[in-house]
Formats: sequence, structure tokens, C-alpha cells
Amino acid sequence: MAIAEVPRFVRADGPDKVTGSGRYAADINLTGQLVAKFRYAGVSHARITKLDTSAASAMPGVFAVLTAADVPDVIYSPVVPDRRLFAKDVVRFEGELVAAVAAVDAATAQAAVDAIVVEYEDLPIVDDLEAAMADGSPLVHQDWESYAVTGDTVQRPNVASFSSIEKGDVDTAMASADHVVTSRYVADGCHALPIEPRAVVAQWEGEKVTIWTSTQVPFDARAGVCETLQMPASKVRVIVPHLGGGFGGKCGFHFEAHVAALAKAARRPVKLVFSRQEEMVAPDRRREGMIVDITSGVKADGTLVARTGWIAIDNGAYTADAAFFPQLAAMHVAGPYAMEAVKVEASLVYTNHQPSGSVRAPTAPQACWALESHTDELAAVVGMDPVEFRRANIVDEGVEGAAGQVYGEIGLRRCLDAAVGASAYGDDLPDDEAVGVAISWWPSFPGPSGAYIKIDSDGSGMIITGAQECGTGSVMTLRMLAAKELGMEPEDFQLVYQDTSAAPYDTGATGSQTLLNNGRAVVEGAREVAAQLRDLAADQLEAAPDDIVLASGKAHVSGSPDKAVSIVELAGIAAEGEMLIGKGSGTPPEYPSVSAMCVGDQGLAGWAGPQFACHAVHVRLDRETGVVRVLDVSAAHDSGTIINPVAAHGQVEGGIMMGVGQALTEGTQYGDDAKQRNTGLLEYKLQTAADAPTIRTEFIEIPDPNAGPYGAKGLAEAPNVPTAAAIANGVAKLVGTPVRQLPMTAERVWMTSEGMSS
Amino acid sequence: MTTSYELDVNGVTYPVTADQGKNLLSVIRENVGLTGTKEGCDDCECGACMVLLDGQPVNSCSYLAVQAQGRQVTTIEGVMEGPEMHALQRNLLEAGGVQCGFCTPGMIMSAKALLERDEHPELDAVRIGLSGNLCRCTGYAKILAAVEATAVELNT
Ligand code: FES
Ligand code: FES
Repeated sequence: MAIAEVPRFVRADGPDKVTGSGRYAADINLTGQLVAKFRYAGVSHARITKLDTSAASAMPGVFAVLTAADVPDVIYSPVVPDRRLFAKDVVRFEGELVAAVAAVDAATAQAAVDAIVVEYEDLPIVDDLEAAMADGSPLVHQDWESYAVTGDTVQRPNVASFSSIEKGDVDTAMASADHVVTSRYVADGCHALPIEPRAVVAQWEGEKVTIWTSTQVPFDARAGVCETLQMPASKVRVIVPHLGGGFGGKCGFHFEAHVAALAKAARRPVKLVFSRQEEMVAPDRRREGMIVDITSGVKADGTLVARTGWIAIDNGAYTADAAFFPQLAAMHVAGPYAMEAVKVEASLVYTNHQPSGSVRAPTAPQACWALESHTDELAAVVGMDPVEFRRANIVDEGVEGAAGQVYGEIGLRRCLDAAVGASAYGDDLPDDEAVGVAISWWPSFPGPSGAYIKIDSDGSGMIITGAQECGTGSVMTLRMLAAKELGMEPEDFQLVYQDTSAAPYDTGATGSQTLLNNGRAVVEGAREVAAQLRDLAADQLEAAPDDIVLASGKAHVSGSPDKAVSIVELAGIAAEGEMLIGKGSGTPPEYPSVSAMCVGDQGLAGWAGPQFACHAVHVRLDRETGVVRVLDVSAAHDSGTIINPVAAHGQVEGGIMMGVGQALTEGTQYGDDAKQRNTGLLEYKLQTAADAPTIRTEFIEIPDPNAGPYGAKGLAEAPNVPTAAAIANGVAKLVGTPVRQLPMTAERVWMTSEGMSS
Repeated sequence: MTTSYELDVNGVTYPVTADQGKNLLSVIRENVGLTGTKEGCDDCECGACMVLLDGQPVNSCSYLAVQAQGRQVTTIEGVMEGPEMHALQRNLLEAGGVQCGFCTPGMIMSAKALLERDEHPELDAVRIGLSGNLCRCTGYAKILAAVEATAVELNT
């Protein structure tokens, strides 16, 4: 709002991207470069009885072959360190790395990979969440108790992280209900699936390594290299060329250390480019499958009084960044509803599947789908319209939420009104069409972040930031913030970004946090430069610095627009003496406290800058085939102030489309061997332009004082949360009962409508 | 087996020496040296590798380069009109139809071919014309809007 006077979308990287001149990691080639290929386990759980690389190493054109024996024996990952760069003794999922090769070309590298001899002794496969949690189950990690977990993390056999949220006396409250409804919902895992498969190029100069990589989190990637190869941060530089999308799939530290280690051993630059299949099997960033059991008690008048929940989340073989998933899933099964008492327990369960990790709003779309489907069941049992039922029970200003956070002014009720109002909800529709409604929430993630701002001698600005652009436009939007502070135009600023050796720290393109945190840093840095400009202008114009206004590329005396000096001129003066350089970081917003009891607390029960949304989705069902088509989506979002409307609409539209895919077609399928069956785009179907629904978006702009610049909250993940749930509620109306599995494939919808369990 | 031949890419003739089984995408990226054309799947499913062959859109990952001899290959680098952007490029930027940009070159090639065979496509024709190009970022809405705006602009 404060900044919406600049409605244009200022996409500095746009021309590179539409002309093909923009370079992505796979487009980088260095003199003398070798090709990297990995040897994957290929089996889901086994002990390595023989590993012989001698034939591979002896092949002409092979410069390096690495296994666990060739790198430091480091067990890594944040919070729950449980994996190594290469498997040692045991492999725990099909995509685990056993060895890596660097060779002159791809064919030679592949031949060497194939020449590596690995023999296994099978271990029992763990792939059923409930069986894995039962006493006496085979363990995925035999020595789990020896791992150096941090914080309040609670673990059990085959459970990497357990959390609960408990508020009030749930038994008493449940006993006071007139109706008690219990539901089970089961979601398959799915993939982030950025269209760019990742690439990594590493080059050593002396003791220093430079790594070009497609990561969303360059500083995390650097930290991973430092930890696993035991190097100081000062010797590792991570540069991200243009990044071809991420959606969480390129968060965390993945293969940068493997390629750096190969390059060191080979004494040559080494390049890794993933195939689509590798992209779908090897990274520890699959969206997690989940079982959700929910029981809720309601009064006859529709008042929600109590809820219990039990959640099992498929962690896969290693924990990656997923230790916080149980607490976030528990928050989403509790949901943005007010009630006396809650008890939700969630476990992150080890299996021999590909590891799960943060994909766009981790845990939320599945948990929201379960909760919101259940909510429509609750409304039905008390004979209320589902929208009215929500109006009667949602959190609002001054109301205490499930975990005991009391909210300030929030836009959930207005989101519900706006989305439903813009849809065909309540209209007479053909009997194969319906509108389903779901509400959702999602936190913002405050964190440290930094930026430098400078103005060069010619008056051009530069933002040097640790922030990472993954496509959302959030880094591009930083130019609008700097321009506003300095009375300049966004186009007056160049960006230097995605280089850990050039800029201060930022968390990266993760948690929808760029504008929230780096926006704060840029505003603060620009204010330092603004103060320097005011001092200079005050000298020139013989006025007090406080009376200088920066606007339209000039510094003028307040009330006298003619008494002015251009910023270009001031920049020229500054270049001869004290230069125009600012730095910003600022204090992150605080996490609010909560009254709920949280076992296994990961710090995510109290949300700063909570975001709210409602989607109303108009669907059509082909009863003969079970095929669901999404006709249109009405979305309303409270993500605080919207700084860049074009980019914000783009986030909502993209998030919704990802949600449509998750709802209808996207799910990992596993065989009895715990290996994925659909690892290509032919078998794993994304939505296309032909499937694209019409999307109407309204932003409910309530500036949040405990969030980002101008009261902006996060945005990029929230639109992905309620879409599948809203589609499910539309489909349930047409089928007469919920489809209790995600994705709601044509087969599952058809079987449910025929009364068969799918 | 290695073979030598000539390839016309964006109006320039390039001598190519490559394995005869090498696909057009790899020849464009590695031998010709133009990296605007992207690989998203190598499986004929994503459209990131889309180029035009005598004006027809083709997934270059699934096309033998030797078969493109004697034909005109157009890549994203050949879309600019001198120093000016093509209306599709400009409209994609103005509509906000570019996010990560990885699908963008292929999307532009498909859209260009579509507008060349149908000057006034209905929205559904645009949807179908672009259905071979996956975009994970945008939800397609702003891309469709940009193509429609381009059709209007080029034909008024
Ligand atoms: S790379 Fe050719 S269609 Fe995907
Ligand atoms: S803009 Fe990222 S895939 Fe289309």
C-alpha cells in the first residue's frame, strides 16, 4: 500500500530470460572440465558386502572415483544429523550415493560408474508408516540413539522427530460434545519438480573452491560443503547463476560437496548435470507422504469444542531439514480454528523411501486437505453449511488459536467472505459441478539477513544482497524498496546477488522469507545512504539535513522543490570523498509466545506474521471415468501488505496450479521394493496450460506491524496450501463422500463413487 | 560414429562434427554453442528444448541433429528482431509471465509457431498450443495473457 504507487513489475533478470542470454548452472562450462556421474544404491535397504572401484579407476579418461572412504567421515544434516556424503556399510534408499566418478566425457563417466562392483546383503524393507512405529519393527537406523540431535527434538525407534501440541483438557471437552467425528486421510508423497534439473560445477584454485550450483540457499550449501569437507567458510565460494525454479526441491545442501571433492581429487573442474530421473530420486527433498487421523467434537449448534489428531509423516531414509515437520503438521491439523482443547501428536517416521524435505509449505497442503475435508464432515453432521460452520469457528482478532496464540488484526474472515463471494458457491449448478471451499494458514519466517547499498559516481544504485532469486521475483522487488527510500526509480538499481563471497548472509529462497527479511535489510541499508545524501544535500543547499526530501531523483528542501540538487550530482561529489555506501540488517520480528504445551518443540507453534487464505474451487466431475476438472478458482489471501502486485498474483497463480497437480495427478508410487515407479514426466503428470483454470485473486491487505517492510508478510508458499483441500470438498459434494486418498486420481474418485475402497 | 555436416541455426551456417546419434538439443548447446534452449527432461515431455524447424515446433531433445540438415533451425536466440525484442518477449515480461525463466525459451518458440499458423487464436487454441510446454512457476495465466496480447498487437 505504502509502496503500491509503483505498480509496475520490475524484473531486472527478465530480458536475460526471454532472450535466452541468461545463464543457468548447466550453461556454465570451464576449460578442462570433467563430467561427474554418480553410482546410486539401486536397492532400498541393504548392507554393502563388497565395494570395488579398481576397474573403474583404471579406465582411461577416468580422473577420480570417490566413495565414503575418500571423504571425511562426517555425519551431517541440521537438527537430526543422520547421513553421510556416501553410504558407509548400509544403504537406506534407492537414490543413496555409493560412489562418484569424474571422467573426460559423459560416456566414459557412465562406463566407469557401471564398472564399479557393489555387492549387497538385503536388509528388511521398512515402508509402512504404522508398522515402522510398532514395537519390534526393523530399524532404518540401527544406531539412531548415537546421533547428535539438537534442541528439544524427541526421538523414538524409527521416529526421527516427534512433536505434540496440547492445550486444555481434551477428554473433558470431547465428552461435552454432542457429536464426535473421526476421519482418516492418507496422502502420497510428491515432488517439487522445478523444470530445471540441478547442475553443479566446481573449480579449485589453490586451497579455495568456487562452486556454481542451482541451489535456493547458497549460504546453506556453503555451510554443507564446509561441514562435510571440513573447510573454513573463507575457502568456499558458492555462486548461483539464474535459478530455474526450486519450490523447496533445491533447498538445503545437496551435491555441492560431492562435486567439489571430485574436482579436488581430479585436479580439474568438474560438472554435474542431473537427468530428470535423478532429479526425482536422489535429492532429499520429496514432499512427504502422510497419514492423518482426526477426531473432533462439536456441539449441536456447530461450536467446535475439542480435537485430537494423530499424524504419521514419511521421513524417508534420512531427515534432511524435516525435524520441524511434525510440529508444523500438528499446527495444520489443529488448524486456524478456536476450540477449548486440543491434543495433536505427530511423528516423522523413518522408512526406506527417498528422504523428505521442505517442499513449498512443507506438510501443509496434505494436512490442510485432511483437516478441511474433515471440517466439511463436521458441518454435515450438525446440518450446517460448510462456509457457515467455518465462520462460526475460525480464529479472529483477539481470539486464542489452537496452540494458544492470541491474534491481532487478521484477515481470515475477510478471505473467507471474499473467496466464497467471488465464486459460484450457492448458485444453481449442473449436477456434475460443485464448488468446494477450504481455508488455510501458514507462518512467516523471521530471520537474520543482510544487504549493502551503494550509489556509484554516476548516480546509479547497486544492491548487493545475500538473497536468492528462485523465480518468484522477490529479489527483483528489492529494487522497489531501495528506490522508494532514496527517491529514485527501481530501474536505477543493479543487483549483485547469489554469491556468498560478495554479500552478507541471507537464509535464501526458502520459507517465503526474502521480502520479509532481506526487504528489511535493504530498507535499512538504503536509509543509511539516504542519510548520507541528506547530509551532502544540506551542505549544498544550506539547509538542515532533516529538511531535505529525496524525490524524483533529486534532493530538495522541504516546501521548496526548486531548491534542489540532483542525486547524480551528489553522487559525483561523494565519489571524490566520503562515498555513498550503506549496510542493512535490522532486527527480525519476534516469534510470539504460546500457551500450549509442546513436546518436541521446534519453535513453530507461535507464528510471526501469520498468513491466511481461502480458496473456493469450482470443479466438474466426469462420473463415467472419475476425471475431475478444475474450472475456476477464487482465491483470497491475507499476506499483509502487497509490495509488488504483479509478482504477488504470479505466486498465487503458480501455487494454485501446483495445488491442482497435488490434488489430482501428482503422487509418488512405490513398489514393494520401496523404489519409485513413476520417475519421469511421462508417468508423473504435471498440469499443463490446457488444464489451467481461471484464477481470480483478491488480497486482503492488513499491514502486520510484526512482519516485513510496510507490514508485508511472506507469500510464496501460502497459495499452495488450501487448493487441494478445496478441490476435495468440491469432489466430495459430487461423489457424496470424501475421497480419502491424495492425489484424488480418476481411479480413486471413481472407486470412491462406486462405494469401493481404493 | 562421428559425422560432419552443416546446420543452419538462426540464419547462420555452422559446421558440426558430432556423433550421428547426437540429438539436436545437444548439438545446439554444445557444438553450436547456444545455451538458450534448455533441457528439462530429455523425454519429450516438458518442452523446455522447443525449437522451430522450418517454422514447426519440435522438441529438440528427441530429434536427431543430422536430420535437421538442410532445414532452418530457429532457437530463442533467433527470435529478437535486430536490437528489438519480439512482441512475445516484451509482452511476457510486461504481463509477468516470466518467473524462473527456465520454461520461457521453449514457451516462446511454441507461442511463435502458434501465432504464425493462427493469427487470431481462441483462448482454448492458445492453451492447447502451449500444452506441450510445462511451467511450474506461473500457473500459465500470465503466459496465456501475454500470448493473447501479442496476437492482438501483431494483427491490429
Ligand atoms: S527436454 Fe525436450 S521435452 Fe523436455
Ligand atoms: S517460469 Fe519457471 S517454469 Fe515457467
